[in-house]
This record gives sequence, C-alpha cells and structure tokens, in this order.
Amino acid sequence: MDTQIITKSLFATPVVALFTLSAPALADGVDAGTLIENTATATYEDGDGPQTVDSNTVVVRVDELIDVTVTSLDSGPIGTSPGEAVLTFEVTNQGNGPEAYELTANPTVAGNDFDTTITNIAVDTNGNGTYDPGVDEILTAPETTQVLAADETLTVFVIVEVPVDAADTEASDVELTAEAVTGTGAPGTVFAGQGVDGGDAIVGTTGADDSAVGTLIVGITSVDLTKSVSVVDPFGGTSTVPGSIATFTIAADVEGSGSVDDLVVTDAIPDGTTYVASSLELDGNPLTDASGDDAGEASDAAGISVDLGTVSGGTTHSITFDVTID
Amino acid sequence: MNMFKKMAATLLIVCCAAMPAGALAQDRSPITLSGDVMAVETAVDADGNETTQLVAPDVIVPGDRLVFGTDYANNGAEPVENFVVTNPLPGAVRLAPDAAADLVVSVDGGTVWGTLAELSVTQEDGTSRGATHSDVTHVRWTLATIAPGDSGRLEYPAIIR
Repeated sequence: MDTQIITKSLFATPVVALFTLSAPALADGVDAGTLIENTATATYEDGDGPQTVDSNTVVVRVDELIDVTVTSLDSGPIGTSPGEAVLTFEVTNQGNGPEAYELTANPTVAGNDFDTTITNIAVDTNGNGTYDPGVDEILTAPETTQVLAADETLTVFVIVEVPVDAADTEASDVELTAEAVTGTGAPGTVFAGQGVDGGDAIVGTTGADDSAVGTLIVGITSVDLTKSVSVVDPFGGTSTVPGSIATFTIAADVEGSGSVDDLVVTDAIPDGTTYVASSLELDGNPLTDASGDDAGEASDAAGISVDLGTVSGGTTHSITFDVTID
Repeated sequence: MNMFKKMAATLLIVCCAAMPAGALAQDRSPITLSGDVMAVETAVDADGNETTQLVAPDVIVPGDRLVFGTDYANNGAEPVENFVVTNPLPGAVRLAPDAAADLVVSVDGGTVWGTLAELSVTQEDGTSRGATHSDVTHVRWTLATIAPGDSGRLEYPAIIR
C-alpha cells in the first residue's frame, strides 16, 4: 500500500517537469542554457491488457549565440557648428544570452570633409533618448557596456568636438563599433565553455560585431545688418532740417546653410528725432506700435524691435521706420 | 522501516534520472523504447552542393535542426497490438516544415489529433486559422501490430526556436 503511494507520486513528478519545460514564452530565439528534453511514450495491448512504456529522456542544452547590431538613431545628418556635437546610436544584443560589448568610436571615416575628435562615449542612463551631461554615464576605457540580456537594447551617445576650421556645409561621419566581449570572429566560431551555464558560445551571423555610421553636417549661419537712411524735407528736397522726415531701412541678411533662431532686430530712435507713429514696416507690411500683437513694437522712448523668429540662411528681411527731425 | 526508507531513496534517485515510469514498467514489458537526438549539419562542397549529415548535438543554437528518434523493439514472445508512440515536442523546438505531411500531430496539447492540414488553431480574437508547424505540441505514430522480434525507428525533425 505504501509502495503504491510512492509509485503514484513518482509518476506525477515527470509529468509536472514536462509541463514546466514547455511553458516558457519564447520570443526571438530560445535562451542560452535552455535544456531541450525529449521523451516518447508508447501504449499498446498485449495478453495482459493495455500497457504503457516510456523511452529514456534525451537532453541537449541550447548554447549561447553571440550576435549584435548597431544602428544610428539620428534621423539624418546632425546639423552642427564648431564645438560639441552628439551622435546617437543603438546597440542591440541579437544573441540568446547575456553579453557585454566593447565600443569603439572612429572619427576618421573615408570621405570625411573634416575629422572630429571623440570626447566621450556615454550610455543613456536615464533612458530618455537625449544626452544629459552629468546624468548619463560616461564610459571609461575600454568603453564597455553593461551586460545586456538577450534582445535588450542600449542607447549610446558619441560626444565629439567639431574643429573650429570646419567650414559651412562640410560633412563628417563617425563610426561606432560594438564587439562582443566574449569574442568575435567568423560566424560559427566556437568559444568552448564560455556560454551560459558553462555551455559553449558560438558566433552568429553578425560575426559578434557590428558598426553604424552617424553623420554631422556643418551649418554656419551669419546675420548681416545694413542700415541706410533717406530724408525728405518739408520743401520736397532732401535737406536735414527740422520737420524733415528720415526713413531708416535695416536690411537683415542671413547667410549660410543653417538657420538662426530668435532673431530680434532692435534700433534706438536717434537723439533729436521723434518716431513717427505707425510707421514701422516689415518687408513692406505695416506693423503696429503695440507690443504682443505682431512681430513688431515701437515707441519714441524704447525704439523699435522686430522679432523675426527662426530665419533660414539665404533670406533677407527689410525693416523700415520713420522719424521726424525735431 | 529502514528497508522501506532505502527503497524510497532508490526510487527517488531513479526519478531524478527522469525515467521512472519506464524503469518501473520495462521490468515486465516486452517493449523497449530508446530515444536519441542528433543535430543536422549542412555542409557545402566545392561545387556548391549541399550535403547534410547527422552528428552528435555538440554546439546547438536557435535555428539549428535536430532530429529526435525513438527506436522500438518487441523483445517478447507475443505480438503487441495498437502500438501508439506519443512524443510531446519540447517547448524550445518547433516541428520542421519538411516533416512528413501524413505525420499525425496535435496542436492543442494532445486532445485533437490529425495531420497538420486537418487541424486549426483558434486565435485570440476568436477566429480560426490553419495550424502551422510551429503550433504542433505533440507527434504520434500508430502501428497496428508488432510481431515478436520486430523493431523499428520513429523520427521527427525539429528546429530550435
């Protein structure tokens, strides 16, 4: 009787084990270290009635596949000017086991108009996709990521210095390479015993290394202001006498391949003159003197101010206003 | 008492080797089942011809092909009838697309059986679709009778998920 109970519980044990093995939800490749266990069961009838017999269980362990991809997360060339620039990349563990990757940034890519200097490689510690100095961890040499789980991604920033002699419209590529710490090589290369749980690690189709290129393009933009004046006197001439009206024209010429933001042109009303109310114009269109209702504002005391906002290179704006000579 | 304990311990050890039912039943069973697994190695020769061979599964990774085999034999003096071998697929593999089309399979854990073409799967939204190789949970072979001394081999190919 006791024996029967034991037998029952023994039958129960392998059944539970089989369910456990078939339970895991498997995404992109079985995890390294997974045990594949196969058992066949036969039922048949002989002279004594129905019978059941199990085969032995064969077990194989899934080895670790080492694969990695690197992609640029920048949607296109990053506009920059001499000074610091940041390129964004993503490193993905395409293997089926945990792996860390050593990162190398190469600023001297063939075809570059100029070469940058690599300042740092940083990881997106707070996961917001934007480089935050002082928050995002800067890797120290040899720049190595933390261990990434299978299918885990990591956002990496390459911070570079654009040289002062980089000219407008010149471009430069920066290449980021990630190499598996376990090792790299031709697909199929085996690192015996270096996989999960002492299994083997095998190099996958990526060769366990990958690289991607991010591009910088220099946009140097300058603003040139030219001021001119024309005078009409009360007698139809051009003499500067009391009562003459002077019309000032300010030409704002934005040059270069980039754009300027928050461009505000201001000018004071000269001593000995009085602003002519409602004379402010932008590109021939009148602006009110009041502040806040349009791009311009003007008064005798404060002078004129016109907010041009963001202006692309190659654009010229003309601002005019009138004063009366006192 | 002591003897009982000893016996229990022995049985537990057998259990850990994952073959308790077989060990218990085979003592009086004329049928033996012997499982094995081989990896399929594909090589390309100088002329570009692909050749495959079965090798011991030394290094295996997702995407690799395995062949699970079961050798059976009737060592008894009497024939056995209605011989049915059922093999649950390990969760980490899927049935290979080149498995025999007339192989009887189940896609629901062994409740409904048929060839893959006859089976369907109910999706989350309640609609039904035809079953695919990766849905297969079990494979099954049925032999009407095995004469004394007869033996054979049953195989199914699988790909590591």
